[in-house]
Amino acid sequence: MPRSLAGDLTDPEMAQPYMKKDDDDSDIEYSPFFGIEKGAVLQEARAFHDPQLDARRCSQVITKLLYLINQGESFTKVEATEVFFAVTKLFQSNDAGLRRLVYLMIKELSPSSDEVFIVTSSLMKDMNSKTDMYRANAIRVLCRIIDGNLLTQIERYLKQAIVDKNPVVASAALVSGIHLLQANPEIVKRWSNEVQEAVQSRAALVQFHGLALLHQTRQNDRLAISKLVSSLTRGSVRSPLAQCLLIRYTSQVIRESSNTQSGDRPFFDYLESCLRHKAEMVILEAARKITEMDVTSRELAPAITVLQLFLSSSKPVLRFAAVRTLNKVAITRPLAVTNCNVDLESLMSDQNRSIATLAITTLLKTGNESSVDRLMKQITSFMSDISDEFKIVVIEAIRSLCLKFPLKYRSMMIFLSNSLREEGGFEYKKAIVDSIVTLIGAIPDAKEIGLLHLCEFIEDCEFTYLSSQILHFLGNEGPRTSDPSRYIRYIYNRVILENPTVRASAVSTLAKFGALVDELKPRIFVLLRRCLFDTDDEVRDRATLYLQTLNGEVAVGNSEKDVKEFLFGSFDVPLANLEASLRTYEPSEEPFDISLVSREARSQPLQDKKAAGKKPPAGAPTPAPVSAVDAYQKMLSSIPEFSGFGRLFKSSEPVELTEAETEYAVNVVKHIYENHVVLQYNCTNTIPEQLLEDVTVYVDATDAEEFSEVFSKPLKSLPYDSPGQIFVAFEKPEHVPAIGRFSNVLKFTVKEVDTSSGEADEDGVEDEYQLEDLEIVSADYMLRVAVSNFRNAWENMDPESERVDEYGLGARESLAEAVSAVTSILGMQPCEGTEVVSSNARSHVCLLSGVYIGGVKVLVRLSFGLSGPKEVAMKLAVRSDDPEVSDKIHEIVASG
Amino acid sequence: MILAVLFANSEGNILIERFHGVPAEERLHWRSFLVKLGAENLKGAKSEELLVASHKSVSIVYTMIGDVCLYIVGKDEYDELALSEVIFAVTSAVKDVCAKPPTERLFLDKYGRICLCLDEIVWQGLLENTEKDRVRRLIRLKPPVEP
Repeated sequence: MPRSLAGDLTDPEMAQPYMKKDDDDSDIEYSPFFGIEKGAVLQEARAFHDPQLDARRCSQVITKLLYLINQGESFTKVEATEVFFAVTKLFQSNDAGLRRLVYLMIKELSPSSDEVFIVTSSLMKDMNSKTDMYRANAIRVLCRIIDGNLLTQIERYLKQAIVDKNPVVASAALVSGIHLLQANPEIVKRWSNEVQEAVQSRAALVQFHGLALLHQTRQNDRLAISKLVSSLTRGSVRSPLAQCLLIRYTSQVIRESSNTQSGDRPFFDYLESCLRHKAEMVILEAARKITEMDVTSRELAPAITVLQLFLSSSKPVLRFAAVRTLNKVAITRPLAVTNCNVDLESLMSDQNRSIATLAITTLLKTGNESSVDRLMKQITSFMSDISDEFKIVVIEAIRSLCLKFPLKYRSMMIFLSNSLREEGGFEYKKAIVDSIVTLIGAIPDAKEIGLLHLCEFIEDCEFTYLSSQILHFLGNEGPRTSDPSRYIRYIYNRVILENPTVRASAVSTLAKFGALVDELKPRIFVLLRRCLFDTDDEVRDRATLYLQTLNGEVAVGNSEKDVKEFLFGSFDVPLANLEASLRTYEPSEEPFDISLVSREARSQPLQDKKAAGKKPPAGAPTPAPVSAVDAYQKMLSSIPEFSGFGRLFKSSEPVELTEAETEYAVNVVKHIYENHVVLQYNCTNTIPEQLLEDVTVYVDATDAEEFSEVFSKPLKSLPYDSPGQIFVAFEKPEHVPAIGRFSNVLKFTVKEVDTSSGEADEDGVEDEYQLEDLEIVSADYMLRVAVSNFRNAWENMDPESERVDEYGLGARESLAEAVSAVTSILGMQPCEGTEVVSSNARSHVCLLSGVYIGGVKVLVRLSFGLSGPKEVAMKLAVRSDDPEVSDKIHEIVASG
Repeated sequence: MILAVLFANSEGNILIERFHGVPAEERLHWRSFLVKLGAENLKGAKSEELLVASHKSVSIVYTMIGDVCLYIVGKDEYDELALSEVIFAVTSAVKDVCAKPPTERLFLDKYGRICLCLDEIVWQGLLENTEKDRVRRLIRLKPPVEP
């Protein structure tokens, strides 16, 4: 394996003379591996074949081989086999040191399955040896190299080894069991009696390994784990490592058991008792687990107290573990951590920057409004000597703090802007810019000062991406400020000073100011005209476009609003879909029509199992990806009966109508049109001995009253493993999002096939096969279409169309579950990452957008809150192009 | 799982490395990340002073022992606390083999022994033995002394 770590292994320095620091140049010592070469070492390995083995020399050669392997040197198959065979000869020697190296070497070489047999008999012999250490090592090597077959042969010995009185042998067998469990779970699970005995062992490590293995074999059996935990928490677990495992398993049991109300809580009492254990590791583990649980403040307090004590420990690992835990607690329960503030402040100067950063970000969460200014001062001095990675963490913490105490925005904005001026990489600067943008969005008072900071930053910004992002943002926000003209200078400077990408962005920003601020328009036009002489064609093109459309020289739509929508409206076509459509567009008389490009954000490639098996020949151009809807549209319009249905609005993802691995695999895709629905059944025959003919799907639509079947296209024949499609079309009232349930039966004539000749019998038998029911739901009438800037899109919609109502969603597993349930009922696209709910959040806002059937844009704001233990309440606000659709969305949620 | 145990010299050259459960293509990233972490933080650190960091969902505990840097990376149950046990076992075993905190030369001289110690302490990503006396006996194939 070649390596190229900066200045490392290929670096000749590795093999350079080693020099003692305090010696002068004349006294040079050489590395024992100086000038080592693979070929020479392989030659030396021939010594392994000597009839009179020199154990010392052989050990040296193995060490050299190990060094070569560790340096990334690779052996060819032949070389590895030769070395392996040579090493196996060394079993003849009884030298203990050499034997130990042989065991290691065999593991390192990991021989292939056809070579393993050479050593198995030697290893089996060692496994039954009287020498304990031979047994332990042979077990470890065997378990590394054998397969399931051989394992059943040696299983008996392994079971004995687990209960061996020598702890090293027992541990070796138990750890082997943990590894073997991955590939051979059914075998390892048979050892549970022996493992249970090992858990009771007096040897600390045996107990630790036994407990880990026992838990892994039973991890899917809640009752067994609960029993295991309750027996062990009463008994004595010796090793601190095993105690930590037990604490983890106990907290898992507590989390999974629902009856937390009962007065008697032996498991929690056990965790609490661990806070008084003598091993620091156990105390910390218990404290950490308690803080992760849903406990009262009184129950939390002792855990916080021990964590606080560890903050001033002399051991960095303990300080780190404590502050990391407190940092997590501070996210959900900042008040519980306030008592530790003094200790946290002293950790801000900790030598270990990871600890210092965690201390600061914790303080930023626990601090109160009055301490913000002092904290900011301290952080300023701290920032200069930490790396970008830590700085980003601090910046994110400051953003959250500012959102918590909006009145303190001034000092935090100043801090952010000072940070922008300092040295730093792209990620760091991006984090600051993102923070300023977020704060401007959330705190109206911060808008003007924030914009000015950003303007100053772009005067001296080395990152094109950030300059363009800021210019775009300025274009959206700047025109709506009290004095838009103050920003023009900064923007126009970009046109003069920057690279083409930034210049083009600046032209667009100028145009936005011109379009939105009437009094600036004439002056902006003067600036835009100057851009007509730019050296870059994109800059010139943009300037021309803006000048002509804003001046009214080129007509776009009917009103000025249409012009602005055309120039600055949100671009609602996903770029991937646009790219795919453009690639399939063939130059012709007919211009490319962007309105035909699918708005669906998610694209599911058409599943065609037949095609998947055949790879295109090498060198053939790979076909451009085409979005699923485009492909479906093309396919459906090629069927004459469907060509009159108009434009395809949406195609669902395939819904499975059969379980996996049944005789016939059927899934269905729902194609939605304005007043039709086409069901496309994709069928696969998985029985080689059968040929199906005249295959149809009988659809019973009695539970879907508004639908009436108009056409069905059966499949003439369905041979083995060659998928085919059946179509059934329904008519439904126009624009009405009709819903209903359809039951489906697959009907066909089945013929026996002789698999050797591939010929089918002449006579067939009629048969049918019950499929799962299918539902058409409201979400099928909604396209998942993202908007780039939700707030702008929301404000641009008519407030009159807004409909707001509140709903109780009842008891839910979590807030995240409620968010995903409502999102999937509506079938809309979550925007700006709001589908992600932070753990332990008590409230959440989720933003959704979509296009409803008829091409009606819809935006939804969902505000969730937890009331009571698990009761979720939701406020739903909808805006859309059509107020009736807003009402409809409420109906969908109310009925869902 | 203990994802990596890595020894490097003070210039960042790898002396021994053991990865477990880390795909080959990510190893280079880990190597450079750890060496960079050490270069930034281990200068001026006392011998055997533990440093700790977290990166994504994994914990890293690292130290300088004599002239040699040692990094141990773990995830899930091997958090910073468990890793500090592992690193303590490794450093004590190395010191025991070398009879003192090693120079790079001494480390290379005892290379075979150190590989064996590591094999006893960490086995395919799991902690197996922790005590240096026990490890010392095990690498000579001698049974441990019963407490």
